[in-house]
Amino acid sequence: MAVPKRKMSRASTRMRRAQWKATAPTLVKTVENGKTVYSLPHRAKVVEDSAGTALFLEYKGRKVADI
Amino acid sequence: MPTPTKGPRLGGGPAHERLLLANLAAALFTHKSIKTTETKAKRLRPVAERLITFAKRGDLHARRRVLATIGDKSVVHELFTEIAPLVAEREGGYTRITKLGFRKGDNASMVQIELVLEPVTPKVRSTRATSSAAAAPAVSVDEPVVAEADAEVPVEETDTVETSEPIADEAPSTEAAEVEADAAEKADDAK
Repeated sequence: MAVPKRKMSRASTRMRRAQWKATAPTLVKTVENGKTVYSLPHRAKVVEDSAGTALFLEYKGRKVADI
Repeated sequence: MPTPTKGPRLGGGPAHERLLLANLAAALFTHKSIKTTETKAKRLRPVAERLITFAKRGDLHARRRVLATIGDKSVVHELFTEIAPLVAEREGGYTRITKLGFRKGDNASMVQIELVLEPVTPKVRSTRATSSAAAAPAVSVDEPVVAEADAEVPVEETDTVETSEPIADEAPSTEAAEVEADAAEKADDAK
């Protein structure tokens, strides 16, 4: 089995990891009850009651799935 | 026929994928709505819709072809007797995929794939009627604004408006008459 000959230096490890970059997701802006909400497009949203308990998932005004 | 899938199969190989999709289709027909990953749902959609097309045909040959995919006779019976009449009017598009979110363990995109069993509501094709209807309110909205502008101007400066308007009316009329006369003369010359 082929194995590395040398220990990988800290600098080269860090140079490789410096190329890992996070990309910001594209969000859609909607106004619900006067509050501006950013969310992923084409994805079901969680409907909560007044206490903040998650009830079900909703998409385009239709109940899609339970949680 | 659906487009053949390219790339690696789901599961361990072609046979594994066939079984996996057959089991998913059986679960979909049993429960009418199942939660799975986006990749599996997208592969399942053509398989399940083809089986529903067979179910709509409804004869013995179609039933045997469905039984070649789904082994469970009770599921096939339910598909032919309950699901097929509900989608009889629908011309394809028997399933609906809704994205839900990402699974916790591997961040896989989860979806809800469900049978579309609601009665068909055909779309209204009259796009021109809607566009004209949209244009008509716009015109009606514009007219009151103009009327208000006219109403405001006379209150402030009545004399200028009255004097300016007759001039504007006369000038085009005289010019138009001259143009018409010239045109008539030219026409006579041409003859």
